[in-house]
Amino acid sequence: MLKPQRRGLIIEGMTAKSKSRKATSKYPEAAEIRAAIDYGIDVSMLVDNIRRSYSERIIRHQIALNTAEKLKGARRL
Amino acid sequence: MSSDFFNLLERLVNAGVDFVIIGGFAGVVHGCTYVTQDIDICCDFKPATLLALQKAISDLHPVHRMTPGRKKLKLAEQTCGKFKNLYLDTDIGQLDCLSFIDGLGDYGEVKQESELIEVEKMKMRVLSVDALIKAKKTMNRLRDKEAVLQLEAIKKLRKAERDIL
Repeated sequence: MLKPQRRGLIIEGMTAKSKSRKATSKYPEAAEIRAAIDYGIDVSMLVDNIRRSYSERIIRHQIALNTAEKLKGARRL
Repeated sequence: MSSDFFNLLERLVNAGVDFVIIGGFAGVVHGCTYVTQDIDICCDFKPATLLALQKAISDLHPVHRMTPGRKKLKLAEQTCGKFKNLYLDTDIGQLDCLSFIDGLGDYGEVKQESELIEVEKMKMRVLSVDALIKAKKTMNRLRDKEAVLQLEAIKKLRKAERDIL
């Protein structure tokens, strides 16, 4: 599902899921962003990240890593 | 045990180790969405730097994670010179220290290609997006393809954000 447009920056067509839809950009569509989308990268997550502070990015990464490490130790019950 | 990269960085900063965050974690700092299991830094491999680094993490049981038997980190002024890289594991995460990056050069050159950032009131250096892309393209590893695509997209998105604001 597409997220709403925020602060005028591209959002529609930013994920691989919506690849078939025409990306509507408020600035000339960059080949680099198209390439990321085509590769399967969720560009809306990149947009969210660049709006975060360095600290927030590091903290969120740490949470993700710790979760992944816990899941590695998971076992079927 | 859970890793704690922030703690590792804090220790290095507080110990006065002059370093630049590089590699996958630098990508995370710039906004990449993947998860990496270690911190890579580039630093000057002068004995004073390496001894300060060792002291900063000494209570975290650092070991050379790539040596047979995972030897304890035991640097002395006389032995520091034999290392070009240190691949360490600690109680709170892996820390890889490099003296040179392919495509960029030694610590002095890497530092010139870095940006000063502030994290929780601590100042530290991170390799610039452009330099990170250059280094990853030089290495030309399959696993870096997504990182390069993310970084190139981040460059464009940053510019778009700047243009809008």
